[in-house]
Amino acid sequence: MRSTFHGLETARRGLATQQTALQTTGHNIANANTVGYSRQRVNFTQTEPYPAPSMNRPQIPGQLGTGVEASSIQRVREGYLDLQYRGENSKLGDWESRNQGLGRLEDLLNEPSEYGLSKTLDRFWQSLQDLANSPENNGARSSVRQRGLEVSNTFNYLTDSIKKFHTDTEAEEKAAIDTINYLASQINKLNEEIGNVEPHGYLPNDLYDQRDVLIDQLSKLTEVQITVEKSQGNSLAMAEGKYTIELAGVNGSKHKLVDGVDKTFNNPIDNTFQSNSGKLRGLSEAKVTYTDMLTDIQKISSDFVTSFNALHTQGKGLKDSSNTVPSGIEFFKIDANGRMDVTDSIKDSIDGLNNIAASNDGFPGDGTWAMSLSTSLSKPKSEYEKIIASLGVRAQEANRMVYNTDVLLQSVEKNRQSISGVSLDEEMTNMIQFQHAYNASARTITAVDEMLDRIINNMGIVGR
Amino acid sequence: MRVTQSILSGNMLKNIHQNYQRLGKVQEQLSTGKKITRPSDDPVIAVKGMNYRTNLTEVEQYERNLGEVYNWLENSEDALEKSSDVLQRVRELVVQASNDTYDEKQRNSIAQEVSQLKEQLLSIANTKVGGKYIFNGTNTQEERITNGVIDSSKTGKAVMLEISKGINIQANVDPDKVFNDDLINTLTLLVTDLQDPNSNNQSFQDDLTKLDQTLDTFNDERSELGAKYNRIELVEYRLSEQVVNTKKMISDNEDIDYEKAILDLKIQESIHRAALDTGARIIQPSLVDFLR
Repeated sequence: MRSTFHGLETARRGLATQQTALQTTGHNIANANTVGYSRQRVNFTQTEPYPAPSMNRPQIPGQLGTGVEASSIQRVREGYLDLQYRGENSKLGDWESRNQGLGRLEDLLNEPSEYGLSKTLDRFWQSLQDLANSPENNGARSSVRQRGLEVSNTFNYLTDSIKKFHTDTEAEEKAAIDTINYLASQINKLNEEIGNVEPHGYLPNDLYDQRDVLIDQLSKLTEVQITVEKSQGNSLAMAEGKYTIELAGVNGSKHKLVDGVDKTFNNPIDNTFQSNSGKLRGLSEAKVTYTDMLTDIQKISSDFVTSFNALHTQGKGLKDSSNTVPSGIEFFKIDANGRMDVTDSIKDSIDGLNNIAASNDGFPGDGTWAMSLSTSLSKPKSEYEKIIASLGVRAQEANRMVYNTDVLLQSVEKNRQSISGVSLDEEMTNMIQFQHAYNASARTITAVDEMLDRIINNMGIVGR
Repeated sequence: MRVTQSILSGNMLKNIHQNYQRLGKVQEQLSTGKKITRPSDDPVIAVKGMNYRTNLTEVEQYERNLGEVYNWLENSEDALEKSSDVLQRVRELVVQASNDTYDEKQRNSIAQEVSQLKEQLLSIANTKVGGKYIFNGTNTQEERITNGVIDSSKTGKAVMLEISKGINIQANVDPDKVFNDDLINTLTLLVTDLQDPNSNNQSFQDDLTKLDQTLDTFNDERSELGAKYNRIELVEYRLSEQVVNTKKMISDNEDIDYEKAILDLKIQESIHRAALDTGARIIQPSLVDFLR
């Protein structure tokens, strides 16, 4: 025979469970704008029906339902979307840094414009042509000297700036490494907390969310590989366990950063770690780009200086203060640090201008050698154009890759939001649903109460 | 697909951001007047642009070089014209003097005039323009004739100027052709003959032949100068055409089509407005607004 108070217990369970669901709805609404928050839902399960099959069961027509319970509170999330997101995020981090590096070079070289190296070389060419027209004119000579200095300064400015970019990038790389180590230590802490909660049969949903946010951040900096270590004890099958975090290095190497089994982080990375993807990789690629560009520019300047000097030493200048026609003098020089300059004999305040070799036959009115000198500018110009073309193509590719990976990332993020994001309309609907169920449960209690009132107070009083 | 408020507002933000990017691009194009501002916008256009700029610099420089050639030719032509006049005058005087009716005294006074004219010719040979002796080849800092004597070791070579890529032209008159020893000798001989009391009509005939030859070389040089002048006029015309063409190519290559850019701006503007409008409508209401 069933208990008289059975209905009360069923309704009480209803009240308690709907209240739990309402509280979870409140939690969802409160966290609607929290970064990385996944909406949570209460899993409702019917409680054991009455009676349980046994020898001494009461003989009633069927099993009677006994109400509801909240079996667990779970976050709604798809693991494979996280995987996709992190993969794209690594690529985006990689390309963004490369793109930034190439963009800085483009800004520096400033082509096509009236202010780049190309224009400077053109101006030097012009001054040599003017010198060919009036080789005996000191104005034309000093203009060649000034434009020559301008060419040297431009080359030096370019190489100095590229070196500066390289140092800046090293600093940025160091900051990224520090961030990676910091994130790893945070993830390790969360691993510990999660490892303390799970064996009790609970799901630490909010800790999972926090850990996923950290891994998302980490994935932008470098490629992350995760292995799950299940918790022991009474942990639920749904429990996500502790994470072992490994970073993918070049050539398939791996660096174990966080150990999920013994919950330790004692192997931080330093600048010897070569990442396979992510911002760290992008920065090291940018450094390679800078080094290559520096080599290219320095090769152009040194080749130019060599060929220009080879010609210049063969030409003849104007009669100097000692009344001889100077010859065999070099125009440019490059020191051990790769800095270009005009030689001291050309800079000389007394004979400098006379030392410029514009003449072939040694007469002051002959400008044919200046003409020959001017032809030596076409090679550096065409080499420089090649550099600009390849820089342009590479930067264009990087732009496109940043755009593409960003689009993919956005699309994955949208899918993630579609699964895990809080919809206020949905929560409102749920709220009303749970509220009504709560109210109805309360009404059931009232009904049982009236029933009991009838039995207790109003039964067996016939004729009173 | 389950769509939530945050997806919608996220989309809206992303779209508006994209619109701003496109608006920014159009704005940049309209305010700079250029299709591209950096090589990655279009590497081909960028490198072409650098090339065209170099071409333009070169052509403009060659125009400047031409100006220099004109200078040389015009000044040489002036000087040669004067020289011809002088020689013509000398010839008239000699023809006059070759008349045997002229006595010694008269011939002496003609000799004096001729020797003056000779001095004049020598000073023309030392014409200096813009700090350069124009009749001494590349040795522009020294006189052609010093004390009536030509020092051949001091004679410069041809003055070459570049008037187009790889095309050089001689800007000066070959000094050995006009102001040479022959000229000086002929004139010196003339003066001697005029002063010689034994001279007669016959002795001047030789001198006249030599004088005519000299005059001819002067005239030859002048007509060559004229021909050269015509030639560089042609080059000048071609260069000015090239300047226009190169500028046009630079413009076609890099400059925006204003009509198109303004149209793009208008289209972008209306898309942007529409995006803002729909966004504002979508993110406003939620179920909360309709629940009691």
